[in-house]
Amino acid sequence: MNEMELLRELARETPLPAPAELDAARARLVAAIATDPAAGRSAPVAQAVMYQPGPASSQPAGPLRPPAPAPVRTAVRFMHAGAVGTAAYLIIALAFLGDIRAYHLTVLGHHLTTAQLSHQRPLIIALVIAVGLVMIALWLWMARAAGQGRNWARILSTVLFGLATLGLTGNHGVAQVFCAVLTWLTGLAAVWLLWRPASGAFFKPQALNRDYAGPAGGADRRP
Amino acid sequence: MRSAAADDAAVIESSRREPERFAVLFDRHAPHIYRYLARRAGPQVADDLVAETFLAAFARRDRYDLGRADARPWLYGIATNLVGQHRRDEARQYRIRQAAAAEPEVPGHAERVAADVTAQAMRTLLDAALAALSAGDRDVLLLIAWEQLTYQEVSRALAIPVGTVRSRLHRARTKVRQVLAGTDAAATYEEITTNE
Repeated sequence: MNEMELLRELARETPLPAPAELDAARARLVAAIATDPAAGRSAPVAQAVMYQPGPASSQPAGPLRPPAPAPVRTAVRFMHAGAVGTAAYLIIALAFLGDIRAYHLTVLGHHLTTAQLSHQRPLIIALVIAVGLVMIALWLWMARAAGQGRNWARILSTVLFGLATLGLTGNHGVAQVFCAVLTWLTGLAAVWLLWRPASGAFFKPQALNRDYAGPAGGADRRP
Repeated sequence: MRSAAADDAAVIESSRREPERFAVLFDRHAPHIYRYLARRAGPQVADDLVAETFLAAFARRDRYDLGRADARPWLYGIATNLVGQHRRDEARQYRIRQAAAAEPEVPGHAERVAADVTAQAMRTLLDAALAALSAGDRDVLLLIAWEQLTYQEVSRALAIPVGTVRSRLHRARTKVRQVLAGTDAAATYEEITTNE
C-alpha cells in the first residue's frame, strides 16, 4: 500500500454530511440568488428553490436574509454576555455608592464634598442606574442588529467599544475593575469576531453579487 | 458523480438567465466540497467555507467556461483558494487530529486494538507529513488523493500547467513517503488491513 492509497483509505473515514448540515450554507446561497437582478424573472422557480431538500429540511428557507455565520453568532453571544456583565457591573457600582468617599467622586471636573454627596445621593444613584440601563440596552440592540446582518451595527459596535476603552480607567475597587475589564474583553472578542473575513459577506449581502469576486487567485482562469 | 456532473455547464448556463438554477449545482456538489473542506480546515470552518465557495461561484458564473462540462474542478479550485485563506485553521486541524490519534481507543479484542493503534499511528504520521508540505504541494496531493481529480482537472482547478501538477505531486509524494519510511507503521497497517 503506497502513500496515495493510505491517504485514500484514511480519507474514507470522513462521511458525507447529512443534508441538514448544509442547510445554513444553502440558505446563504438562496439568499444571494434571490437578490440577483435576474432572479425576479422566474418567480415560480425562485419559489421552488426556496425549499430545502432532504428529509431533515423540508421547511421553507424563511426570510431572504441568510443565517448568520458562526463568528457572527458567537459575537452575538458575547454581546449578550456583555449585557449580563454590565448588569453585574451596575449592581456592584450601586453597592460601591453606598460606601463611596466624596473625594472619589468627580462630576464634570469638580470633586464633590461630603455634604454635596449626601445631598445628591438620590440623583447620583438615578444617574448610575440610567447609564447602566442605557449600556445594557446598547449591548442588546447591537447584538440584535448584528445578528440581523446590519453593517452599521458592526461599525457602531466598534465605535462604542472604542469609547468604552477610553472610559476603562475611571473604575475603583477590585470587584468593579474586574467586572469592567471582563466586560471590556467581552466587547473586544465580539468586535474581533464581527470583523472576521467569514463575517464580511454576511454584512454585505447586497454587494455580494455585484462586487464579491471570491477568493484571490484565478481558480476560474482557464489555462 | 462524473455522469451526473456532465451537464454542470448547462446548469450554469441556464443559471445566467434563471439564477435559481444554480441551487442544482449546490445540491449536486456541496456534500463533496463540504467533506473536502472539513478534512482540511475542520467541520466548524467548513460550514462557512462551503457557503463562501458557492457564493463565489455564483457571483462568477458568467465567467465560467461552458466548454467544461464538469464544474467540480472549478468548485474545488475556489474551495482550495478559500482554504488558503484559512491556513491557521488547517494547521490547527492537523494538530487536533494528531492529538486525537495520540489517545488510544477503549480496550477491546487484542487484534482490533493493535489495528486501531496502528491506524492512529498512521494518521499521526500522515497528518505530520501533510502539515510539513508546502501549501501548493499539499493542494495538489489532496485534490488527487482525496478527491480523485485527474491531473488535467487539478490543473484547471488551481490554474497551473499540468507539468507543474506532476512535479508538485511527485515532490509531495516523495516527502510523505520519506516520513512514512521512518517507521514500520505503514507496513503493519497494510498487513492488518489486508488480513481484515
